[in-house]
Amino acid sequence: MSTYRTPLSRARGLGSAKHGVGHWISERVAAVALVPLVLWGAYSVILLAQTDYYGAIHWVAQPLNATLTILLIAVSFMHMVAGLRVVIEDYIHKTLTKAALLMLNVFVGGLAGALAIFSILKVALGGA
Amino acid sequence: MAAYEWIDHKFDVVVVGAGGSGLRAALGCAQAGLKTACITKVFPTRSHTVAAQGGISASLGNMGEDDWRWHMYDTVKGSDWLGDQDAIEYLCRNAPAAVYELEHWGVPFSRTADGKIYQRAFGGMTKNYGEAPIQRTCAAADRTGHAMLHTMYGQSLAHNTEFFIEYFALDLIMDEGSCRGVTAWKLDDGSLHRFQAQLVILATGGYGRAYFSATSAHTCTGDGGGMALRAGLPLQDMEFVQFHPTGIYGAGCLITEGARGEGGYLTNSEGERFMERYAPTVKDLAPRDMVSRAMTMEIREGRGVGPKKDHIFLHLDHLDPKILAERLPGISESAKIFAGVDVTKEPIPVLPTVHYNMGGVPTNFYSEVVTKVGKDPDKVVPGLMAVGEAACVSVHGANRLGSNSLIDLVVFGRSAALRAADTIKAGATQPELKPAMTDPHLARLDRFRNANGGTPTAELRLEMQKAMQEDAAVYRTSEALASGVARMQAVNAKRPDLKVSDRSLVWNSDLMETLELDNLIGQAIVTVVGAGNRTESRGAHAHENYPNRDDKTWMKHTLAWFDDKTGKVKIDYRPVHDYTLTNDIAPIPPKARVY
Amino acid sequence: MAEFRLPKNSRITNGKHWPAQPGSGKTRTFRIYRYDPDSGENPRWDSYEVDTSQCGPMVLDVLIHIKNTIDPTLTFRRSCREGICGSCAMNIAGRNTLACTHGHAECPGDKVAISPLPHMPVVKDLVPDLTLFYAQYASVEPWLQTETPEPQKEWRQDPKDREKLDGLYECILCACCSTSCPSYWWNPEKYLGPAALLHAYRWIIDSRDEATGHRLDELEDPFKLYRCHTIMNCAQVCPKGLNPAKAIAEVKKMLVDRVV
Repeated sequence: MSTYRTPLSRARGLGSAKHGVGHWISERVAAVALVPLVLWGAYSVILLAQTDYYGAIHWVAQPLNATLTILLIAVSFMHMVAGLRVVIEDYIHKTLTKAALLMLNVFVGGLAGALAIFSILKVALGGA
Repeated sequence: MAAYEWIDHKFDVVVVGAGGSGLRAALGCAQAGLKTACITKVFPTRSHTVAAQGGISASLGNMGEDDWRWHMYDTVKGSDWLGDQDAIEYLCRNAPAAVYELEHWGVPFSRTADGKIYQRAFGGMTKNYGEAPIQRTCAAADRTGHAMLHTMYGQSLAHNTEFFIEYFALDLIMDEGSCRGVTAWKLDDGSLHRFQAQLVILATGGYGRAYFSATSAHTCTGDGGGMALRAGLPLQDMEFVQFHPTGIYGAGCLITEGARGEGGYLTNSEGERFMERYAPTVKDLAPRDMVSRAMTMEIREGRGVGPKKDHIFLHLDHLDPKILAERLPGISESAKIFAGVDVTKEPIPVLPTVHYNMGGVPTNFYSEVVTKVGKDPDKVVPGLMAVGEAACVSVHGANRLGSNSLIDLVVFGRSAALRAADTIKAGATQPELKPAMTDPHLARLDRFRNANGGTPTAELRLEMQKAMQEDAAVYRTSEALASGVARMQAVNAKRPDLKVSDRSLVWNSDLMETLELDNLIGQAIVTVVGAGNRTESRGAHAHENYPNRDDKTWMKHTLAWFDDKTGKVKIDYRPVHDYTLTNDIAPIPPKARVY
Repeated sequence: MAEFRLPKNSRITNGKHWPAQPGSGKTRTFRIYRYDPDSGENPRWDSYEVDTSQCGPMVLDVLIHIKNTIDPTLTFRRSCREGICGSCAMNIAGRNTLACTHGHAECPGDKVAISPLPHMPVVKDLVPDLTLFYAQYASVEPWLQTETPEPQKEWRQDPKDREKLDGLYECILCACCSTSCPSYWWNPEKYLGPAALLHAYRWIIDSRDEATGHRLDELEDPFKLYRCHTIMNCAQVCPKGLNPAKAIAEVKKMLVDRVV
């Protein structure tokens, strides 16, 4: 352990990264964007529950619906990845584990998000 | 005796204590290029300066015309002509610069509408040589000491002052009348340290805890005074103990004089503003000794308030709640917590409470410790300085004016540093320390550490505190003082019978409290003996058998030596400096002290 | 990795029970965390039955009463006993506070548990090691920084600007806030904690200070500042009624201000 380091050296650590405000702003922007998107999404789910399979496909094929659904998915995943990153940074202190988990977070989030978006595009652009 | 080992340090200057004066002195010495250590038994911002509320006096003239000469006149008169006028001139002249320096360091002073430092009225501060009260006390709401101490600690960090925090100073290293350093016990690991230095500056504060009820913190045990007595040095004017008029009844916590400065007033059981009778000109803003006596008199004559008729009311309920919130937020909170009183609606129950020690280690205005040798009353003790409440410069004489102590801290803390820069050379060779110089320190520590008698420390401390509280109070009589001397000698005789239960060296607060008690006992004894010896009334020393001031016999400082082995006190005197430093002001001749 | 149990040598055992002294009136039991570094033993809970009519109203009065009359080896820091020095901060009945301003009658429950400030190394009994906390305070450069030559007299400051320091400068560095902050518990070495950040803001917002940009630069860091997740424990426990969380939010706002 670092018991022989001076307290000030411990307190200063590696110094300031001089960034962080960007991450903080993007989290807030995403959160704000999600408010109307999620409301719209919930409304749409209720609406879709009243139609059948073909009605749903028809609904997704509408340009506005497709675009908003993609946005909802994309922003949600970005927000989730950003949030999980903070959780990992909070609790995981071993550098290697932390780096692995942070990458995994991006990869899994990215993959799931990309898959979701591709699926929507596929439906929207021409048939199930 | 168990084997103890010293860890050695060598510095140019070692400051003992990290309150206002200690920080100022350490900072000044470090700035002057001297290798400086500051040893403190508590983290610096926990020193008792933090509890100072009302403000710091300086004739800035932000609230109307002011002059340092008026401040000087008030201070001399407040001291009941026992203050040394050269030192008082030094204090009052340098006060404005000292306050500006604090402001430049970042103290968050309250402000006037035009952005200057706000100043409030305080007891005994007048304009034009006693004509009417003046606003001279610079304030940061009612947390001035806190604001100052935190700012000064920040400054010391900026200047990389070297602190030794939670080190308890044991004794001065003396070598044929010169001071060569100080020894200390590090609480968190139990190690023992020998700090060698060309100069030791005592900034250890007062010994309010010699009394049962004091506004002072538990840590105010005057360790510097105890060390000085053991080093064979005298203490000066110890009989003058200030009672603050407004300690919260029961708890003893301080309610600032600034409360009266902002318009508060005292009443007795008849609802009468009785101070109008005692001090027609300045009323509730009379100096503390007079207000405390007036309150005691009212209570004695049956006009105290409460079921036992044993205290007095302080009214703030007529003041605008906005002003209270802005200027007196701290005491509003204290009154709520400790007296259950909402100051905007009810009066605060208060009682005169031990607050400040005018006496201490005698010094000149350079802050160098002096003693009397033969006919020479100003013999400088080489290698030793004292500042702040631990010292007796003497600018406060027989009674300190409120807000003069914060200014005392910074002005004389600075003067000590300037003198140090003038008199010692950074890195100069120092004579080797011999074991004989510090063996008694170890013996004392070991004796108390293994003390296994029948009297627990807390029991003996209580016995001392009760004796002091009852026999060396606001009013004193020959009979009470004789009883006080006898009771304190009895306390002293029980020192070998002390019992310490914790034998560890790591954060052994049982042992630390015992060492502190040992420091207190010597000072308490010289206090009562000095009081019994002074057959007059002056300032805070109100002797009922001798109700008048006697300038012919008693316009002199008491010096008291304490023999740690026999408990005997030797008394001698130093003349009061009735001359000024420069021709800018003529000495202020003694006259009757009425307000 | 976050740990879910205390390390072996920190697990608390049951210690000594000190029954009420004969002749006591109504008593209350105080369970106090004891740790003696010399003994090599684990920390323990000692319990003391105290006749609360024999001591003052505050928890500190109880502790002093125990030390004076029951067990002189009990160790804790204390000084001013009026809530201004910040020495006697500890965890009382599950809440960080000052022993000197917290009434024992206010403590809920039958038994009152008293332990050192959480998540700090313990030196002895109720005395935690605050070295890192102090160093974090020092690392925010808590002093006025100016380059303009100082005026002969004071720097002028508008009363409205001075008002911005209220709720900040009153901090007594007791560490109640930082040691109640889960984020500080998890990342004590990297997150500055609410107390240090409150002080950072105190100097940032001081109209006399000329190093605002430098101060903000030093704070803009995913860990030093942004580990604050507005949990708000700091504002909940502050014995002086200050709101460090709000000060931190103000710093975050200023950082946004300078980029948008």
